[in-house]
Amino acid sequence: MELMGIDTAEGTVFSGYARKLTEQNVYDFSGGPRTDPEWPHKTIHTSTEFAQNCGLRERMASGAMFEAYLVDLLIDLFGEEWLHYGSIRLTFIFPAGPGDMLTPKAAVQSMQQMDFGVRFVMDVWCENQRGDRTC
Amino acid sequence: MQRLSKFIGNQERVEVLTERKRADKVGIGEEFAEFEFEVGPALNRQYVDALQADPNRYKEIVHPGLLLFYSNITRSPSHYLPSGTATVHAKEETNFHNPAYVGKTFRVYWKVIDIYEKRGNLFQVKKALILDEDGQVILERTINDTHLSGRR
Repeated sequence: MELMGIDTAEGTVFSGYARKLTEQNVYDFSGGPRTDPEWPHKTIHTSTEFAQNCGLRERMASGAMFEAYLVDLLIDLFGEEWLHYGSIRLTFIFPAGPGDMLTPKAAVQSMQQMDFGVRFVMDVWCENQRGDRTC
Repeated sequence: MQRLSKFIGNQERVEVLTERKRADKVGIGEEFAEFEFEVGPALNRQYVDALQADPNRYKEIVHPGLLLFYSNITRSPSHYLPSGTATVHAKEETNFHNPAYVGKTFRVYWKVIDIYEKRGNLFQVKKALILDEDGQVILERTINDTHLSGRR
């Protein structure tokens, strides 16, 4: 994917690659270190029984996974420099779990010339295989 | 702690928890106990695999997803909730300041800065800050959590 430039038009939509959520991915992300004898730790993300005890219908992947997919996409677009100044604001609106396919997306909302360069404001979201936004 | 104050502000009340306290009862101005962790290549690779990310990009740089997970409030040694209760993430803002490097040790701080009610649920707003072993700020988060209980 090419890095963003000042010639990128407002409204342009970028799509990262789709990730299929698997049991293993969720355990690896939310279950603690694999070396831990109790891995995967029981949480609302890794255990249906634990989630249901807490009043949820089923377990759900951590919202931090969606955020991490988006950070990967933003690094694709802005380079690793993004980790020096990037900022992301998210609301978690729809759960996802093993079997779901999630795609991170970003659309250029505005850009502004600043002293230090061009500041881009992007609308970012993850969507599932049905087109629902998860965040 | 001065670095934490710079980002978190609100110096009127600072009380760092030294023992576990029900997370949903921690009030404005209180800080959860800090958490220290080291990121070696194996742990970083676990998160690269979990997130189906490019391993070449994250050979030296810690995957930001790992940092997000390790700065969730459930990582604090003072975090505690009774059985049948869980913390659920509602929204957040993350500001990145520096990449984190594999092989380093990191420290996370949390402070409750606000509590509000929305649609009958109480939300707790926390500032989280990650510093590396050199005192470099890696990222700061403003996290809005609520607590769910199966015993309502």
